[in-house]
Amino acid sequence: MSNTSIDAGELVPEVEVSHGLWVTLRAVLRQPSAIVGLVIVGLFVISAVFAPLLTPYSTTDASCGVFDPPSTAHWFGCDDGGIDVLSLVIIGGRVSMLVGLFATVIAMVLGAGVGLLSGYFGGSTDTVLMRITDYFLVIPQIVLMIVIAAVWGPSLSHVVVVIGILMWTGTARVVRAQVKSLRERVYIKRVESLGASHTRIIVRHILPQVGPLLVANAVLAITVAIFTETALAFLGLSDPTAITWGTIMEHAFDRAATSAGAWWAVVPAGMAVALFIMGCYLIGRSIEDSLNPRLKVSYLSPRSWAMRTLVGRGPDAL
Amino acid sequence: MSPEDARSPVFEIKDLHVWFDTGSTRRHTREVHTVKGISLAVAPGERLGLVGESGCGKTTTILASLGLLPPSASVSGQILLEGKDILAAGEKTVGPHRWNDIAMVFQGAMNAFNPVKTIGWQIAEALRVHRTVEPRERRDRVAELLELVGISAANADRFPHEFSGGMKQRAVIAMALACNPKVLLADEPTTALDVVVQDQILSLLTKLTEELDLALILVTHDLAVVAQTCERAAVMLDGLIVEQGPMTELYRNPQHQYTRQLFESTPDVFSAPVASHEIAPVVAPLLDVTDLKVSYGGRRSWLSSLRNKPSNDTLAVDGISLRVQPAEMLALVGQSGCGKTSTVQAILGMVPTGGGSIKVAGTEVTGLSRAQWRPLRRRVQMIYQDPYESLDIRFRVRHTLEEPLRIHGIGKSAKERTRIITEALERVGMTPPERYLGRYPHELSGGQRQRVAIAASLVLDPTLLLADEPVSMLDVSVRSGVLELLDTLRRDLGMGILMITHDLSTAANYADRIAVMHQGHIVEEGPAWDVVNTPTHDYTRTLLAAVPSPDPEVRKVS
Amino acid sequence: MRKSGYLWKRSVFALVTIYVAITLNFVLFRVLPGSAVSRISKVPNASPALKHALEVQFGLDKSMWQQYVLYLQQLLHGNMGISYQNMQPVSDNLKSALLATLPMVTIGTVLALVIGIAVGVLSAVRRGTVTDHATTNVAVLFYAFPTQFLGMMMLIFAASFLPSAGMTDPFAIYTSWADEAGDVIRHMILPVLTLVLTLFAENTLIVRSAMLETLGEDYVLTARAKGVPRRKIVRSYALRNAMLPTITLVALSLGSIVTGAILIEVIFSWPGIGRALYQAVLARDYPMLQGGFLVITVVVVVFNFIADLLYFRFDPRITT
Repeated sequence: MSNTSIDAGELVPEVEVSHGLWVTLRAVLRQPSAIVGLVIVGLFVISAVFAPLLTPYSTTDASCGVFDPPSTAHWFGCDDGGIDVLSLVIIGGRVSMLVGLFATVIAMVLGAGVGLLSGYFGGSTDTVLMRITDYFLVIPQIVLMIVIAAVWGPSLSHVVVVIGILMWTGTARVVRAQVKSLRERVYIKRVESLGASHTRIIVRHILPQVGPLLVANAVLAITVAIFTETALAFLGLSDPTAITWGTIMEHAFDRAATSAGAWWAVVPAGMAVALFIMGCYLIGRSIEDSLNPRLKVSYLSPRSWAMRTLVGRGPDAL
Repeated sequence: MSPEDARSPVFEIKDLHVWFDTGSTRRHTREVHTVKGISLAVAPGERLGLVGESGCGKTTTILASLGLLPPSASVSGQILLEGKDILAAGEKTVGPHRWNDIAMVFQGAMNAFNPVKTIGWQIAEALRVHRTVEPRERRDRVAELLELVGISAANADRFPHEFSGGMKQRAVIAMALACNPKVLLADEPTTALDVVVQDQILSLLTKLTEELDLALILVTHDLAVVAQTCERAAVMLDGLIVEQGPMTELYRNPQHQYTRQLFESTPDVFSAPVASHEIAPVVAPLLDVTDLKVSYGGRRSWLSSLRNKPSNDTLAVDGISLRVQPAEMLALVGQSGCGKTSTVQAILGMVPTGGGSIKVAGTEVTGLSRAQWRPLRRRVQMIYQDPYESLDIRFRVRHTLEEPLRIHGIGKSAKERTRIITEALERVGMTPPERYLGRYPHELSGGQRQRVAIAASLVLDPTLLLADEPVSMLDVSVRSGVLELLDTLRRDLGMGILMITHDLSTAANYADRIAVMHQGHIVEEGPAWDVVNTPTHDYTRTLLAAVPSPDPEVRKVS
Repeated sequence: MRKSGYLWKRSVFALVTIYVAITLNFVLFRVLPGSAVSRISKVPNASPALKHALEVQFGLDKSMWQQYVLYLQQLLHGNMGISYQNMQPVSDNLKSALLATLPMVTIGTVLALVIGIAVGVLSAVRRGTVTDHATTNVAVLFYAFPTQFLGMMMLIFAASFLPSAGMTDPFAIYTSWADEAGDVIRHMILPVLTLVLTLFAENTLIVRSAMLETLGEDYVLTARAKGVPRRKIVRSYALRNAMLPTITLVALSLGSIVTGAILIEVIFSWPGIGRALYQAVLARDYPMLQGGFLVITVVVVVFNFIADLLYFRFDPRITT
């Protein structure tokens, strides 16, 4: 048995066949952490959609003094240019989330495509595709991103594309492992022996099963994308004129908010990223956990079984 | 030894109840009562069989005896070890007896060992934990234990993945015996094993109980295994023991309806019908396989053809020939790895052949492309082993049955398709069909699922059915129903059936002819009765000698 | 015999990966449009002689293929060009930067691993209890914090009592070797703490779920039936087997370690390779950028290879 550490897919947890989207959804919603995650992400999405209505002040014109601390008028204080931080964070969330979303879409399409082809057809297709994936996995992506962003010049669309095309490997591995195990399932073999085409098998039987896992993966990928965006922005590789959570923090660092002790210029954006990522992570994890049958059993529980005395029942009663 | 003059029991279960908390919020489903007050006793040197189907509570009973239930369980009743109640204070009183007095052989021997430690280390660990022997004697004791179960002591330093299934099962038994227990609980110890290995393990257990004066409780779904191993048996159904007594009594004179049903569903290779109907050779057989070869590697990858690598030339199937006539059932019998599955895969065109010819209804099918195969798929249909896996669980019965029609463009209107579907369901005995059309697989029993899978083949009106172990994953009591169904299909519709099975008893009772396969070759072929009663090849004799009979009086032919 | 096959395969993989990275480096900077071919010699304020020497070394007037061969040759001799910023050879700059980075990142990573394994095991073994919920939630929270955010919080709230910039105090006069070491260690506290906080959470979550999976394996039940004490089951059975997926996943998270290290070096002005990369980006110092990319890639590949060796050491089942 070969189980090398980088052989793609070997360590992806085995996933139970899902009983359709609704059953999965119900299993997911039974976990309190999923609800918490959904509420958090939901609030962020609402605030992004209605951002222009929610921002109390302009994000371009000064509305208070330099590094004014939080007050009743400016809940999160002001930055170095006298701009209301709350407004910045609300508007910045829009772009950050969009960057995360678009990069994730690119990564999902690439990753799901490669994973599907690799897992379904197996053999040499699999070997070649997975070898490529392995190289992408080993090369430190952030550094490659820095290089590419530096060569191409700083721009939001570059950031989206770069994150997207470097992030698909994880998805490809997970999807491949799942498709590979589905490919061995008896019902897929049965349908194949009925004479069904590859397209039919993939579209009708495999994709719906991979769906929930892909959703979980996408939600987790968004967290990585947003992380990476803030990191790239922090290194000055994002569009300096765009307002994102990343550039807000970069700006604060750049303008010495730290030495001025103006934590309010950093905390709101940082906490926004943290909260949003936590929300996504909780959702993604809940889906993955509800799909993993191996997590349902534990032979080493901290509690023990209980003895029960039967009232009014002797050993002879049946 | 009859139970009357038996010694006093060393191990006794008295009125054992087990409940599980399901975590459900609804009151009436919050708890399931899995074991509903059972009592058992076993004396030193005695072997007791505990027989029941999946979900009857037999494994729970065993785990409760060792105090290994999950925290969601509550237990009441007594477990007496030499007259002392070890359940009295729960975990605290059971704990010290584990392995010292009561040891266990688990169902999944494959996973019972820690994969990253050697077998010897794991056996020695039991000695270490319980300080059974002096540290410097441990190695010798491990060697002694391994030799006792028939494994050379030199294997102690090998890892579990280096052991075969049979060896692992032996090693599990050696580990169980490490601390000289008084009672051995064996949960389906032979279920995943081939029949010859099963026979060896059962003989080993028998030998050990006699030599070590060990009390054995053998838990299994297979009455034949119990009949050949145990003096007494208890039949368990739905958390209760419905009948208990000496094996011969149970066989001759079963009192409970369920016991009777179990015996009826357990085919006996030695009481197979003398001769099934003789079939006159037809000019064109439905399936004609000549000198078929299939290599292990399966499909040759395009990368290795680029690199000009020769494909793997060890043959899984090495030149076999088979023929199936209309209305005939041919059983291809062999142990796992003998090449029977590769044969079927090749006939279905799922793996490439390495030589020979396969003719389906007169058409040569080797080397056909996917597209060329498609019209032929209507003629040949396959029934798979695992009914829990063979249906897409997101598809209702109607959609499962409709899919083949859509693939082949059969049935112009929805009405016509519904007619075909309901007919097929009626044919497989799922009546009234309307009741089942809207159901999902998880709303069906194992037997029903297998029937739906068969119906999904029947809608295409095939002439040849390939059945891969069609009943081995089903509960014993529903097996005969599915086999009868296959029998009816060939008699009424004139289908030819090629059934693959590891089980000679099933083959002997249902097939017209039997082909015995061993290491890629067919070593013997002939009418079923002849193969079973006058075997000519040594391998067939070995197989027959290993097949357990549900009749405790029948000792194996040697 | 078959076991050595695994090591052989992994070594080849590591070498090929390094080769791919080297080639990628060449392609990104010299072949793709927008990356002027002659940049490597366009060192600002350089003497014509130096420019000419670089042009000859890297054969900038020759064909792309010849340039590629020359590039490989020069690289073999450690020549990666001259930094635009300080006119020093890139390799010298990178050497001192790497020496500053490795201790800080290694200490941080090892601490994060130790804490992650301890907390992950605790949380898995006490699954469903208050301890489990508390540790998991804390881990998720720290997993969610961006590194630069944690770093800036350190700057704001801890800079008053701990040094927060650079590796040493530029104005300090050391009386002894130990004195200097002490200063470096004091400077290291905040960066390492930030790195540990960023990394331990991911490790905790990885170890916890790997442990939960092994706790459901049949061999754990066997061990319990054998009467093996809990503590021993956790160590020899659950954790021992959970180490395998953990090694792989931690190896895969090397990328996030690199990200964290770069951000931390920038924030705490740590004179390491991440900061060098950052400054190279700002100064459009292409030779340094290429060199930094290459060195980090090689280091990551080497650590990946170490992970492979560990895996090999821990899993007796590896045969190919």
